[in-house]
Order: sequence, then structure tokens, then C-alpha cells
Amino acid sequence: MLLSFIAFTNAINAQSASTIGFSFAYGSRVLNIDDSLNLPNDSTFLRITELKFYISNIRFLKNGEVVLEEKNSFHLVDANQIIPNQILVENKQNIAFDEIKFDLGIDSITNVSGAMGGDLDPTKGMYWTWQNGYINFKLEGTSQLCKTRNNEFTFHLGGYQQPYYCLQTLHFKTNNSSTMNFKLDVQKILNQVDLAKTNHVMSPCEEAVILSKIVANAFNLLQN
Amino acid sequence: MKRKLFIFSLLSFVIVSFRSVNEIQFEVPNSFPKPVYNFSKNPLSENKIQLGRALFYDPILSRNNMISCASCHSQFSAFTHVDHALSHGIEDKSGFRNSPALMNMAWQKSFMRDGAINHLDAQSLAPITNPVEMDENIAHVVAKLQISKLYPQLFFKAFGDSTITGEHTLKAISQFMLTLVSANSKYDSVMRKQSVFNEQENKGYILFKKNCSMCHTEPLFTNDEFRNNGLKIDTTLNDYGRYRVTKNKADSLKFKVPTLRNIEFSYPYMHDGRFKKLSQVINHYANGIEKSKTLANELQKPILLTANEKVDIIAFLLTLSDKSFLFNPQYFYPKEIFSEATKN
Repeated sequence: MLLSFIAFTNAINAQSASTIGFSFAYGSRVLNIDDSLNLPNDSTFLRITELKFYISNIRFLKNGEVVLEEKNSFHLVDANQIIPNQILVENKQNIAFDEIKFDLGIDSITNVSGAMGGDLDPTKGMYWTWQNGYINFKLEGTSQLCKTRNNEFTFHLGGYQQPYYCLQTLHFKTNNSSTMNFKLDVQKILNQVDLAKTNHVMSPCEEAVILSKIVANAFNLLQN
Repeated sequence: MKRKLFIFSLLSFVIVSFRSVNEIQFEVPNSFPKPVYNFSKNPLSENKIQLGRALFYDPILSRNNMISCASCHSQFSAFTHVDHALSHGIEDKSGFRNSPALMNMAWQKSFMRDGAINHLDAQSLAPITNPVEMDENIAHVVAKLQISKLYPQLFFKAFGDSTITGEHTLKAISQFMLTLVSANSKYDSVMRKQSVFNEQENKGYILFKKNCSMCHTEPLFTNDEFRNNGLKIDTTLNDYGRYRVTKNKADSLKFKVPTLRNIEFSYPYMHDGRFKKLSQVINHYANGIEKSKTLANELQKPILLTANEKVDIIAFLLTLSDKSFLFNPQYFYPKEIFSEATKN
């Protein structure tokens, strides 16, 4: 059954869909949730305990024009999953493209449209409650650099209104490949954060906007 | 093949009729504007309203299964928490604001005293999660509902699916709240020319239109905006209202203008419940305004009222009481739904 399912998804991949995958790294190392990273020459005992984010509004472009868009394009990506984080976008007519764009986070209109289902269901834990709105990106962990309770740091980035609008649009040139694998390098994020000073960002604010931009720059499209 | 087709068309007929029979059109009272709430995304049905009513009265929404929405929003007080300046929740923990009265929710653009919530569907998440209110989380609420005897069948009746989701839970609670419409006070019957004000009420109405209606706009008796109404800050709370949400200094000390409908029953008054009586409220506007940078434009000029005029305004405000709302059996504790569950 499982084999036939894999065969089936492969068939879709080859003929009529694009697969977008996400993997997670800390520099050159594979990032596993809850594992101590044991970095050489590093006494911070860094550990990532949560890494989740929304990818939305996936569209494909050719010569700068959108040629294919995914409908209802909202995906919660969670690094703490055994199943690989893969998104299949139907492309029945095998439309050719040379660029992919997607948003990191949830747009303003969706944020003011009430209760949603699927990956947007508030039970997914990516929703603020006292001041409602989606959390676009969650990164939590521990580091000796944080003089906080249990050395914890917590970054919940979001905000759907100016001046703290946090949604980021990412775009990458691609060679019309049916499989695109993105790598998020958490080291690129933490290298730009002074964890001793900035360790708790949990509401829409200026720091959230700055951090969202840093996060957006930590994604790479791996070349096949 | 023919048989299959027949079954398929029968099924689709059943599904279509399930929808059309159950859907209810939201009734907009004659004088009221178009609702803000988008009903097309959450069409009303009797089964969804009843599910929402059960959820509203069920303490299963709280961590210790002791606090329900109705704990702080009781019908006889226009769905607010009487007797307490600051409403209290789980384990008698005190909140930092006076719970707002619930009515005419379909016409509100934002919720909470500071407008922190942008949609009615998201509103319930705030008290469910707040550590001094229900101290729960929606994922755990959904898990509790799913293993209960009562709810899988109620969700099936309402949404055609017994698998409970956060979305359906919140939409059902919204549906019940949307039915809380108050538009049948003496004031309304006067406007419909079915009744008349007495002399004192009429004087009060004229004074009200001159001094109060810029913010407490008819017929909802709120303009649904945020204003600094000149209250001196309570330094035990340091509540700067809307500023907490926008972090914009221009919003400092601004709070949502509340409706005045059923004001007779929704005491205490103001975001921190500092006034127990309507006379204290009127005295504040006449004599107690504290000037500050963000004070409402409408309150820049003093409101001059004689002792008699103050009483006249109160007489008018009492005409906003709507007994058919306060005692509407459709909003009562749903004994019949809960007793059905214990029978099974």
C-alpha cells in the first residue's frame, strides 16, 4: 500500500506536479529538533526545540510573469516531523517556469477573515490569542547565552498590520525543475542575533520585522 | 451503473436539502445598518446556533472544567459580569478589565476594550487561553470535546462532520453570539412610533443627542471607534488601552466606545469598572474629565449639565433596556441539550 502510494506520488511528480521540499541545517550540520548541536569551540550548548513556519501563496513565473498559482496555498512546515516536509503543487499542463515565489507567513486579508481550517486551524498552535493573528514563524530553543529561565529563547514572529507587517516574499530562479528543495540554515539566523540581549520576541513589533527579514535570507534553494 | 447514478443523485439531493433546510437568514432590525460580519463564510443554521449555545454555557472550555463563557457573561446583565469592577475567572483569579456586555456582535469591527481582536470568530480564543480566565488551549478543548458523549453528535448535526476542529468550534460559538441582538427597547418602539417618551425621557433624549451621540451613535449607541474619554489613569493597573495593541502614542488611553443599550443592567461601568452607578458616569462627563494629549475631540469643550438635566439623561438611558433580550429563552442555559447527553 505504502509502496503504491510512493509510486503514485512519484508519478504525479514526474508528469503533472512540482514538489517543494524543506530541510533544516545549522551551518554544515543537519538540524534535528531537541538534539544538542555540540558545536566545536562552542560552549553555548545550543539546542533547537521548535521550528515551524507558514509557507503561502506559492506561484511560478516565466520571464517575470506569473504562469501558475496554487489555490488555497497555505502550508504549515514543521521541522519536528518524521515525514519529510513536502508540498505538491499541481501542474497538469506542465507549464514551464524559470522562477518560484512564495510568502513566508500569512497575508493580512487571511489574518482578518476569522476562523480557518486545515493548516490554518488555530489548534495548530500558530495563532496568537490575546491579540489575534497568525504567527508566521516560530523558533524556540536553549542556549547558555540566554540568561533567562532554563536558558530559553523564543521567537514567535508575526504581525499583519503596518508598521509591523512581517510577511516576507521569497523568490528564487530555478531551471524548470519538478523538484525544488529548500534549506533553512538556522545558523544564518542566530549569527545575526545577540541572544544575550534579544531572546524573547513574541508579538508584532519592530524586532519581529527585523528578524523576519533575517529569516527570509536564511533560505536557500539547493541545486540538484 | 444506473443504480449507482440513482444513489448518487439521491445523495446529492439529501446534501443540498440538508443545506437549504438548515440555513437561517440573519435578520437585520429595521433601523440597523448592514452587519459587518460576513455570514457567507459562516452561514447560520439552527443546529450550529444550538451547538454554539451549548459551548457558550459549557465549562469544558476551561482548564479545570469550571468556568464557562457565561461565568463572565450572564444574560440577566446583558451578558457581562455584574458586581465586579474587574472580572474574575479560573480559581477566582482577577482579570485587569471589566468584561464587556455582549450584544449586537454582528455590527462590530473589532472586539475587546482595546480592539485587540479583529474578528468575532477569533474572539473566543482570548478568554479560552488567558491564564486568569479559562487557562486552556484550543487544541486541548477540541480533544476534550471529541471524547465527550455529547459533542461529536452535535458537531455532526451542525457541520455534517463528527471530527471536531478548532475552526468549527469557533464558528459555532460565533453563531450563538451573532444571535444576541438587542433592538426591542422602549427607545426602539418610540422610533417605530409604537410608543412615546414621557416628558423627562424626551428632555433626556434631546440632551443625549446634543452631548453624547457623537460617540454613542444611534441606533447601535456606539460608533465602534476608540476614544480617550478623560478617565484619570488608575496607577494600580496602568492600562493604556488601544496603545497596548498598536504601540502608537496617539492611541494612548483610548478604549472602545461601548454600546449604551441595556446599560441599566450592565454595571459596573468603564473599562476598569470604576463606576457602579449611572449617576457617577454622568458626573464624570460633566465634572471629571482629565485633560491629556489624546483626549477625545468630542470632550474638549465641557459638557454643562444641571442636576435635573443629569437625571433627564439617565431617564432616557433607561429606555434602552430591552427586556425581551434580557429574558429571551433562546439565550437561556441549554438544559435540554445537556440533559440529553446525561441520558445516553
